[in-house]
Amino acid sequence: MSPNGQPKAAAAATSNLYTVILALAFAVVLVTVVFVAYKCYFQYELIFRMP
Amino acid sequence: MSTLTKILIVLLTLSSIFLCGIVVTYVGSADDFKQKNTSLTNKFNAAEENAKKANKALEENKTLIQQQKKEIDDQIAALKASSEELQSKLGNVEREKSALLAEVEKWTTITRDFYQTTEKQGQLLKDTLDELNKLQAEQVKTQKELKETTASLMEKMAIIDTLETDKKRLVEQKTELQSKLDQLLQPGGKAAAEGTAVTPKKDTAQPTAGAGVVREINLKGKLTAVDLKNSMASISLSSADGVKEGMKFYVTRGSEFICDVLISDVSGKEAVGFIELVQQQPKVGDTVSTNL
Repeated sequence: MSPNGQPKAAAAATSNLYTVILALAFAVVLVTVVFVAYKCYFQYELIFRMP
Repeated sequence: MSTLTKILIVLLTLSSIFLCGIVVTYVGSADDFKQKNTSLTNKFNAAEENAKKANKALEENKTLIQQQKKEIDDQIAALKASSEELQSKLGNVEREKSALLAEVEKWTTITRDFYQTTEKQGQLLKDTLDELNKLQAEQVKTQKELKETTASLMEKMAIIDTLETDKKRLVEQKTELQSKLDQLLQPGGKAAAEGTAVTPKKDTAQPTAGAGVVREINLKGKLTAVDLKNSMASISLSSADGVKEGMKFYVTRGSEFICDVLISDVSGKEAVGFIELVQQQPKVGDTVSTNL
């Protein structure tokens, strides 16, 4: 409900393009994290720690 | 959505992609340090093992080298002693060499003199051989003349024999005619006068006294030995028979004249002489006589 006492309308994306861009950025970061974790595990058998 | 928000979304996306790309690139190209560590550890262990082996080998080599050094020292000492001995021997050998060189020089001089003497003697021998060849040529010529003279002598002796026979026959005819003439003239009390020869009497050549003595001796004997190689012969007559050195004997076989023997040595059993005027080969048993 809005401060004016009127019911608040549901937020709706004004454009799906920026959502896609954000999703892409998230995916890129996620893939990077997975790749780094994979490399750390198979090379040092540890994840995000110093041997 | 405001414009600023949109711009921030785009920038966030781009920066995320950029940073993620950098991280992926770095992680992807980063070295595998664990593997490197393992490899280096293995290499280090192997190097340590090699170092241990090398140290062990070094110790063994040191021991061996010390033993070899000791042996070499012993050998050096022995070689030094041998060297001193060899040097003393070398000194002796050099002294002997000097003596031998002096002797070689001496013998070289002697040999050189000998060669010179030999050359002189060779030249002398050559001259002598030339002279001998000349003398042999003269001897051949003389022998040829002697053969011719001997043949002529034999021919003349044959003529003399014929003439003596004729003379004997003529004397006999003369005696016979003289006796017949005496018988014819004896009844008349006449005697034949001594005939005078138309041809005047010439003095005949008389043999030398020695030859006459030899002819007077009139010795006869046999050849007892013949040495044709040295032209020597021995006869059965000896000094007991009156044979003397220098006497000449005629060797005949039947009526053939063989050769002469000039006596050069006389003993009590036989006489030896040189064979001369050889007409035929004399043989043992041929007759020898002082007169033909």
